[in-house]
Amino acid sequence: MRLALAAAVLLAAAPLPAAHSGSTLSDAAGPYDIALFSTPTAPAARGHARLVYAPSPFGVAVTADGRARYDVQITASALPAPSTLGAFSSYVAWEVTPDLSRWTRLGVVAKGTSTVGPAELNKFLLVITAEADSMPAAHAGPTVLHGTSPSGWLQSFLTHPLFRGVAP
Amino acid sequence: MRRAFAIVCACASACALAAAHPTTARAQDPGTSVRPFDQKHGGTANVHMLGHAVTSPGAWKAADVELEQDPGRPYVYVSGFVNFDTQIYDIRDPSHPKKIVDWTIENPELHRGIGAMDGKYFKIGSRYYYAQSFQFFQGSPDADLGAVILDVTGLPDPRSVKVVARIRYPEAPGGFHNTFAYKHSDGRVLYFATINQPKALVYDLGKVVSGADSSTWLVGAVPNPTPFKQIGAGGYHDFYVGYDPATHQDKFYGAGLGGYSVWDVTHPEAPTQLFTITGLGLDVAHTFTPSPDGRYAVTETEYQYTPLRIWDLQPGQQGKEQNLDVALSAWAADWRDLSHNHEVRWPYVFVSAYEDGLQIFDLKDPKNPRTDGAYFTCGCEHEHGFGGTPDNGWQSTISVEQGAFGVDVRNSDGLIALSDMRSGLWLFRMDGFKGWNGRDYGMPNISSVQDYDHGPEGAPKERASAGAR
Repeated sequence: MRLALAAAVLLAAAPLPAAHSGSTLSDAAGPYDIALFSTPTAPAARGHARLVYAPSPFGVAVTADGRARYDVQITASALPAPSTLGAFSSYVAWEVTPDLSRWTRLGVVAKGTSTVGPAELNKFLLVITAEADSMPAAHAGPTVLHGTSPSGWLQSFLTHPLFRGVAP
Repeated sequence: MRRAFAIVCACASACALAAAHPTTARAQDPGTSVRPFDQKHGGTANVHMLGHAVTSPGAWKAADVELEQDPGRPYVYVSGFVNFDTQIYDIRDPSHPKKIVDWTIENPELHRGIGAMDGKYFKIGSRYYYAQSFQFFQGSPDADLGAVILDVTGLPDPRSVKVVARIRYPEAPGGFHNTFAYKHSDGRVLYFATINQPKALVYDLGKVVSGADSSTWLVGAVPNPTPFKQIGAGGYHDFYVGYDPATHQDKFYGAGLGGYSVWDVTHPEAPTQLFTITGLGLDVAHTFTPSPDGRYAVTETEYQYTPLRIWDLQPGQQGKEQNLDVALSAWAADWRDLSHNHEVRWPYVFVSAYEDGLQIFDLKDPKNPRTDGAYFTCGCEHEHGFGGTPDNGWQSTISVEQGAFGVDVRNSDGLIALSDMRSGLWLFRMDGFKGWNGRDYGMPNISSVQDYDHGPEGAPKERASAGAR
C-alpha cells in the first residue's frame, strides 16, 4: 500500500502531456483513481473513475477472504449514444481480471457520474462496453473506455523504460 | 532524463574514442558531408526501391522485419509494434507487396505496451512457423506473454495460419524484446529471447510446436556478465547465434546493458563464457553481429551521436584476451543521428539507420568502412522520434528513434527488406548484389540465415542426428 501511494504521488507530481486517447494519468490524482482511455470505437470519449469503499457497517468493506470491496464512481463524457455504434442500448462497466479470463458486470454507465460495483479484485481492468441491454450475461459489444486499477501501476524496476522495454 | 542520459553517454563515448582510438575517426568516409535534414529523401543511384507498403495508419507502423529465405516462399513478416499485430506480405512481385495476413492480439484495445517487436520464422520438419515476440506493460493483459507461434506452412492461404503456441514467462513480466531462431549443430531449433532479467532464455522450439508440456520448453539460459553496473542490473537487448566451424562451437554473441559478451552454447543447457567487450562508452549495448568466421564484429550502442563500431575479435576468440575495449574502426550514416539494427553479409553491412533509412557499407578493409549506398525512407522531422508513453502518442521532441527499424536480406537473390517506424515496409535491390553465399567471399556460408534442413555448415553430421527430432 505504501508503495502504491508512493507511485501515485510520483505520477501525480509529473503529469503527462495531453493524451490522444482520451485521458491522462494526471486525471488520476491519487491511489484510488483510475484514468480511463478511449478506443477507436469512441475516440472522443473521456473519463476517469474513483474507488470508494463499498457501504459497510465497519467503515472499510472487505470480502470474507480479506480483499477490499470498492464501489466505482465513473465520470464519463463525450460518449456517443450507444445506438450510433450498432445495435446497442447501454454502456456497461466490467471488472476484468488482467488475463481477461473473467468479466464481472459492475453496472450501467451513463453520461456524468455513475456509481457501479462493488469491485473486489486486488488488481483488475475497468472496462466500459456498449451492450444490447443493461443486464448482459456476458460482454459482447465494443469497448469505449478502459483503465487499470491503481494496484496495476506497480512496476518491476527492470521494466522501467530507461532500462529496457520502450527504447526500440 | 533520457536526453541528459544520452548526452552523458555520448560525451563519454566521444572522449574515450578520441583519447584511445585515433584510427576510429579516420575510419569514416573522409571528407563526406552530411545532407541537411530536410533533404533526406531518395537514394544513391545504385540502390533501387522496388516496392513500398504502408502497413498501418498513424505514426508507429512497424518494428522489425523478417524475410523467408526459401525462393519458393516469397513472404515477408512485419512486426506491427504498438499496433499489436503481425502482417504477412506476399512479395512474389516485389514491386507490389500484397498483404495476405494481418493477425492481431486478441482484445488489442485493452492492451498497453510497445506490442509486436521482433519476428523470426523457422522450419521444423516440413512445417514452417513464425514466432512473434510481444512486450506489454505490467497491468496490461498478456504482460507475461513473450511470443506467439504461428504455423504458416499453408501460406499464401490466410485461413491456414494458426496459433500453435504461446510462450509465457511470468517470472519477469514485460515480454521478449529481441529473439533469435537458431538451427543448432545438435539438430535442435532453438529460440533465444531477451527478458527483463540479466540473462537470455533458450527454448527448444521443437518442444514448443509439438504440444509438449510447456514446463519442458525452456532448456537453458545465458547469463549476462555485463550488467549496467551503475544501476546494478540489466539483461540482454539483442543477440546473434552462429556456428564456428573452426572450433566446432555454437557461439552466442549478446549485446546488453553494460557491454557485449560471447558464449559457447554448444551445450545450451550449460553455456560457457568466452570473452566480453566492455569499456567507457559501450554501455547501452544494443546489437552485436560477427562476420561469418567470427573474426570481426559490428556493434551498435543505442544512443544518439554514436557510430557503429567494428571490432577484431581474434584476441578474444583465441583466448588471449578476456575483454576487448579498443575498436578497430567505426562507421556512421550521419554523426548527428543513430544507426539502428544491421545484417551482415560479409563484407556488406545492411543497416536500418533510423532517420537515415537504409544504409549499406562494406568492410572489405575492416579498418576503413566505406559507404556503398543508401535510401532515405523516413521523411521525418529530426529528433521527433519515439518516446514517452501510449498516453502521449509515443511522441517525443528529443529522440532520433524513428524511421528505419529493421532490415533483412534474402540470400538467394539479394532482395533487401526494410521496415520503417513511420512509413512501413520497403523492398530494395543494390546493383551488383545478386545474393550471398559466404564461400563466394572466402568465408563459411554462415549468417543470420539458418539452414533448417541441414544445420550449420561445417557441423559434424553425427551431432545433428543425435539431437534432431
